[in-house]
Amino acid sequence: MSITHHPSDETLLRYAAGTLAAGPALVVAAHLAASPASRARLRDFEALAGAMLEAVPPTALADDALARTLARLDAPAPAVRPAMAPPPDLPPGTLWPAPLGAYPVGRWRFLAPGVRWSRIEVPDPQSRVILMRVAGGMKLPAHGHSGIEYTCVLAGAFSDDSGRYGPGDLAEEDDDTDHQPLVEPGAECVCLIAMQGRTRPHGWLGRLVQPLLGF
Amino acid sequence: MAERAVNAPDHTALILAIARNGDRAAFAALFQHFAPRLKSYLIRAGAPAASAEELAQEALLSVWRKASYFDPAKAGAAAWIFSIARNLRIDALRRQGRAARIEPDPSDEPDAVPGADSLLGLAERERHVRSALGALSAEQRRVIELAFFEDKPHSAIAQELGIPLGTVKSRLRLAMGRLRTLLDDAS
Repeated sequence: MSITHHPSDETLLRYAAGTLAAGPALVVAAHLAASPASRARLRDFEALAGAMLEAVPPTALADDALARTLARLDAPAPAVRPAMAPPPDLPPGTLWPAPLGAYPVGRWRFLAPGVRWSRIEVPDPQSRVILMRVAGGMKLPAHGHSGIEYTCVLAGAFSDDSGRYGPGDLAEEDDDTDHQPLVEPGAECVCLIAMQGRTRPHGWLGRLVQPLLGF
Repeated sequence: MAERAVNAPDHTALILAIARNGDRAAFAALFQHFAPRLKSYLIRAGAPAASAEELAQEALLSVWRKASYFDPAKAGAAAWIFSIARNLRIDALRRQGRAARIEPDPSDEPDAVPGADSLLGLAERERHVRSALGALSAEQRRVIELAFFEDKPHSAIAQELGIPLGTVKSRLRLAMGRLRTLLDDAS
């Protein structure tokens, strides 16, 4: 797998800092599972976060905080492993990174000939996360954006002005993007897409599902 | 900053002492160093003081429980402890329906176990990241902290720093550009 499109440093730093919203963070996590280069960059930003933590002026805790924590050391750790949902029905060979297993995936719904989608529930009312599968060779209408949209390819590939996106590639599209994606002929393309915020999404395919998602 | 980097391996040794021997004195030393800093970080990230106090203690408790998963070839002590606190904060937000836990437990790390030379590689990398951070101006560090760690919108940063919105945007762009250059120089 040759990944050529990575998240911006801004997005990865937000992810490292824990301030990237749930939907985009899930898409970035899917990409990270496939990209050693992005994991290395993330480690840099986590090191940066560690250095910033060292530099922050301390705030005193309650006098008995240490004693109370010491008293809890021998208590058994609560088991908090989330139940893993089985992956949905997907074309063979589709990436299904571990972070996706933590969230329920809805059933596939018909959107247009050759296009199906399903919804992934993340606990953030501002995040919309969907899976799309699109038949090979489909061309989508040209469009711009009025919001940020994150897409990670899980199977197949599409191309637009900014290049070719295959499995593991991450597309981060904002207001400045204006493109006309074409799904490569032959294989079906499966994408994980997060749309963020109250702004109306106009992203690739996002625009098509917008009425269904109730924006 | 440079002097702190010299001290950093001590924290690594403390975590390893917890992993190997359940060393309570090592835990107390880590607690006294990191819990008050985590509390500050959590307050800055928007947690009320009482929750920050609680989460800082929970984070150190997790350090105790997860110490055996700590791999000094993969992360420095401060970075690892930061990540634990970050994930606990995300968990707490999730319980309020505001965010999702994404990061897997350190125990599920998919990366292959690196060779012995990675330890040196990581220490060098950490030193490099610290010196990159140190090469930014105080103003640039502050704007990165506000935008990325405290999650403040640009307009709120402008208000807090008493500078025009355009200056916030250009300062952030310059700071991130500088950081990118510094990080890329060493990779």
